[in-house]
Amino acid sequence: MVEHLFRHEAGKMISTLTRLFGIGHLNLAEDVVQEALARALQTWPYYGIPRNPSAWITQVAKNLALDLIRRDKVFRNKEIEIANFMEPPNSARSESLSLDGEIKDDRLRMMFVCCHPVVPQEAQVALALKTLCGFSPAEIGRAFLTSEAAIAKRLTRARQKIRGARIPFEIPAGREISQRLDGVLQTLYQLFNEGYKASGGEKLIREELCHEAIRLAALLAEHPAGNQPRTHALLALMLLNGARLLTRIDGAGNILRLQDQDRADWNGPMIARGFFHLAQSAAGDELNEYHLQAGIAACHCAAKDYPSTDWPQILSLYDRLTELNDSPVVALNRAVAVANVHGPRAGIEAVESIRHREKLNSYYLLYAVLGEFEMQLNHHQAAAGYFRESLKRADIASEQMFLSKRLRACEEQNPHADEVRNVRSSVRSSVSASPAQRQ
Amino acid sequence: MSTESNTSYLLLFRGTNWHRDLSPEEIQTVMNQWRGWFDRLTEQGKAKAGQPLMNEGKIVSGKNGRVVADGPFAESKEAIGGYFLLQVNSLDEAVAIAKDCRGLAYGATVEVRPVAPECPLAENARQAATQERFAHAGA
Repeated sequence: MVEHLFRHEAGKMISTLTRLFGIGHLNLAEDVVQEALARALQTWPYYGIPRNPSAWITQVAKNLALDLIRRDKVFRNKEIEIANFMEPPNSARSESLSLDGEIKDDRLRMMFVCCHPVVPQEAQVALALKTLCGFSPAEIGRAFLTSEAAIAKRLTRARQKIRGARIPFEIPAGREISQRLDGVLQTLYQLFNEGYKASGGEKLIREELCHEAIRLAALLAEHPAGNQPRTHALLALMLLNGARLLTRIDGAGNILRLQDQDRADWNGPMIARGFFHLAQSAAGDELNEYHLQAGIAACHCAAKDYPSTDWPQILSLYDRLTELNDSPVVALNRAVAVANVHGPRAGIEAVESIRHREKLNSYYLLYAVLGEFEMQLNHHQAAAGYFRESLKRADIASEQMFLSKRLRACEEQNPHADEVRNVRSSVRSSVSASPAQRQ
Repeated sequence: MSTESNTSYLLLFRGTNWHRDLSPEEIQTVMNQWRGWFDRLTEQGKAKAGQPLMNEGKIVSGKNGRVVADGPFAESKEAIGGYFLLQVNSLDEAVAIAKDCRGLAYGATVEVRPVAPECPLAENARQAATQERFAHAGA
């Protein structure tokens, strides 16, 4: 049976049932789908998996929904509409295709509802995960390092907002679409980042967040309403970064830097898809952050090894990115590109000139980056100082392990290495370093 | 009485609400594991039968069955959700199999009950009755 089948079927069915029940009954749609899956759990172990598991689940959910609306007079005036959907005329191929299209539309409608501006930003991602991706509150909590109860509360509030604001269950049209599409893209980007960032949450769940974000973005990109250059740019950026997701950590849970990763393990098909969508993203004349970030990721993916990375190109993309986004984190990443093009001293200067640098004071990577620059300049003491600062601010084990290793690398140099080197270079003696010091 | 070897045991799975809070992903995982478990036991000849029970049902009670009530089967910790009929060598073996139940982790319980073998005396009585019937028929 297909991996994640139940999760993805849940996402489809909840969207479609929500259209039929009305957005105010989102809960009910979720309950019906849950019940249908529970029925599968009750019976399949004994009788085997049906030949078409999706159709089985859909049929059971339809039957449950039909029972429900016959019992509940709230739905009395909708019965015919719902019954029509439940029992589509024994279908020719064209009809089943249009039904398939309709189900895709439902998921897009659900995306636009979840990402509606009245829903608080932090709830948008949670709601999308719950309704479109079939995640439970417990799973969302594990991904976000939050309790199940906190997520459940967030979801309840989001549903209340949707009901209260009477958000229509539809794909926006006309002038509205552009603005609303931006909201959807932003939420998908956030969803991807939650999964991609190295800190926090359970590893397996985080990978799945990235894949779900890619799946939804792909759905959006192939639909006329979402088929825009910026959608392709976002999808390209997710694919080109996601392709390298698993190689960032080794088997023992250690962080691997870009130069230490085995590029043969990067996901080739994802990279190919990424380049395809990057090309699609160039169709219009717009250039936004997604384009630039996808371009940067593409430079890394295109390099056959670390030394052949096109750093000048990456730097020029970062230069443009900092024009669009004055986030100090982006500027810090730019400093790394600067160092790779112009050397570590220029990198340090780039860090020093970051606007609003104080916002990075509690960010462990600020110190890790400075530590690397000082290390490259053979200022081991200064580097060790930065790695210690960084270590104080790192939260998760793999980061701490990585930084401790970097710190040890500094300390293993003679603590007075800087002075020794100065003396040595003035004496120009080649025999002064003992083997112990050389290690 | 027969020896203990190859007796039938019934595993009764109690609890029809333990899967309510599982996520779709977990439901799929548990379903696959449970199915694999039953398949394996069937291949080994240890499981002779097994079926789930529907959540609907009635409870009949009172003299002459006067009271017919809806059973609390759907959302109950106690209700039986399904059964396996095992053919194994000992109660211990049946219990060991029950311990592999995937629902246990989520609060389901498994009741293990030997199926009573027929008592030899009852067997004799039945044979006697049959012979008597034939005798009458032949007369």
